[in-house]
Amino acid sequence: MIGTHAKDSIERIFFAAARTRLVTDQQHACDIAPRPGVAAQGEHLVVLTISSMQFRLLLLLHFEDDERTRRYYVGDAARTLTECFMEFGNLCCGAMNQQLVEHFPDLGMSTPYALSSGCLPYLRELKPDSVQSYAITIDREVRIGATLCVCTQTPLDFVASLAAIEAHDSAGELELF
Amino acid sequence: MAGVAVVLLYLIEGAALIALAAAAAAAWHKRTQTQARDAALARDAAHAAALAQAEARHAAQQEEAAREQGTLAAQIESLRAELAQRKSVADALEAALEGERALRDEAMQRAGRIASEASRLKLMSSTFERWHEQMISLMAQNSDMHKKNHELSSIVSHVLIVSLNASIEAARAGAAGRGFSIVAGEVRALATRSQELSKSYRDSLNRNDLITAATFQDIQAGGKMIAASLASVESASNQLHTQLEAARSGAHA
Repeated sequence: MIGTHAKDSIERIFFAAARTRLVTDQQHACDIAPRPGVAAQGEHLVVLTISSMQFRLLLLLHFEDDERTRRYYVGDAARTLTECFMEFGNLCCGAMNQQLVEHFPDLGMSTPYALSSGCLPYLRELKPDSVQSYAITIDREVRIGATLCVCTQTPLDFVASLAAIEAHDSAGELELF
Repeated sequence: MAGVAVVLLYLIEGAALIALAAAAAAAWHKRTQTQARDAALARDAAHAAALAQAEARHAAQQEEAAREQGTLAAQIESLRAELAQRKSVADALEAALEGERALRDEAMQRAGRIASEASRLKLMSSTFERWHEQMISLMAQNSDMHKKNHELSSIVSHVLIVSLNASIEAARAGAAGRGFSIVAGEVRALATRSQELSKSYRDSLNRNDLITAATFQDIQAGGKMIAASLASVESASNQLHTQLEAARSGAHA
C-alpha cells in the first residue's frame, strides 16, 4: 500500500531526475505531463529497477526509433539508439536512487534492460500498488514516454524534501553508482 | 696613773673597739652565715622548685609522649586497615580489569569474525553475476522465440493469403472447384486459428519477458543492496576492531 505523499514524492523525484538526466543539454526544455493508461509511446522499452526492503520501483522508458530521437540521443555516434538511450535511462534512474536513498538507506539499483513495449501491459502481473505514465517532450521535438511502477511489501509513505530535490537537481553532479 | 688610765682608756677603748669589731665581725659573720644559709636555702628551694618543675615537665613530656605514642599507634592501625582496604580494592580492580581485558579480547575476536564473514559474503556478487548470465541466456532464448514466432506469424499470414486466393480460384472454377473451395476454406480457418495462436504466443512471450526482466532486476538490485549493507557492516566491524586494538595497545603502554 502506497500513500499519497509517497506517490507525490516519487513523482517529484522522477521529474527532477528526468529534467536533468534525460536531456543531452541542461538548457533543453523537458516537458512532462501525466497521461492515463499504460499505453506505450514507442516500440522500444528500457526498464530499470530500484529495490529496497519496503518496495521496488520500476522505471520504464518507452521510445520510437525515429529520426528525431536518433538525432537527439545518438548524434553521430556509431551505436544503436537503444544502447544510447539505456545510458540516459541509467543516469535518470541513478539520480532517482540518490534521492530515494536519503529516505531508505538500504537501496540497490539494477542495470538497464531493453524490451519490447509490448511488455508494458503486463506490468499488472507484478501486482503493483501504483502505475503512472507520463508523456515527455524534450527540446520541443523528441517525444518519449515513461511509466513509474511501484510494488510495496509494507505500507509506504514518505515526504521528499523539495529543497533537497532542487539542490540535487541544480548541483548537476556526476552519478557514481 | 694618768698614763695608765690613758693606756687603760686606750686599752678599754681598744678592747671596746676590738669587742665592737668582734661584735661587728660576729654580726657580720652571723649575717654572712645567715645570708649564706639563706642563700643556700634559697638555692635549695630553687633547686627543689627547678627539680619539681623539671619533674613536672618530664612527667608532662612522658604523658605527651605516651599520648603521641597512643595516637601514632592508632594512626598506624588506621593506616594498616586503610592499606588492607586499598589492597582489597586494588585486588578487586585488578580482577575486574582482567575480566574487562578478557571481554575486550573476545569482542576483538568477534569484531574480526564479523568483518571476515562480511568480507566473505561480499563474494556473493559472483552468484549475482551467475544469475545475470543465466538471465541474459533466458532473455536471449525468449528473443529467439520471438523471432521464430514472428516467422511463424509471417508464414501463417502468407498461408491465409494463399487460402484466400485458393478460395477465389475455386469460386472461379464453379462446380468443379466446389471441393477445392471447401479445402481452401478449411486452410483459411486453420491459418486464422494459427494467427490467433501466434498472437497469443507473442503476448505470452511479452508477459514472460517483463516478469523475467523485472524479477531478475529485483534480484540484481536486491543483491547490490545486500552487498552495500555487508560493506557497511565490514567497515563498522573493522573500525571497532581497530578501536579495541588501540585501546589494548594503550593499556599495555
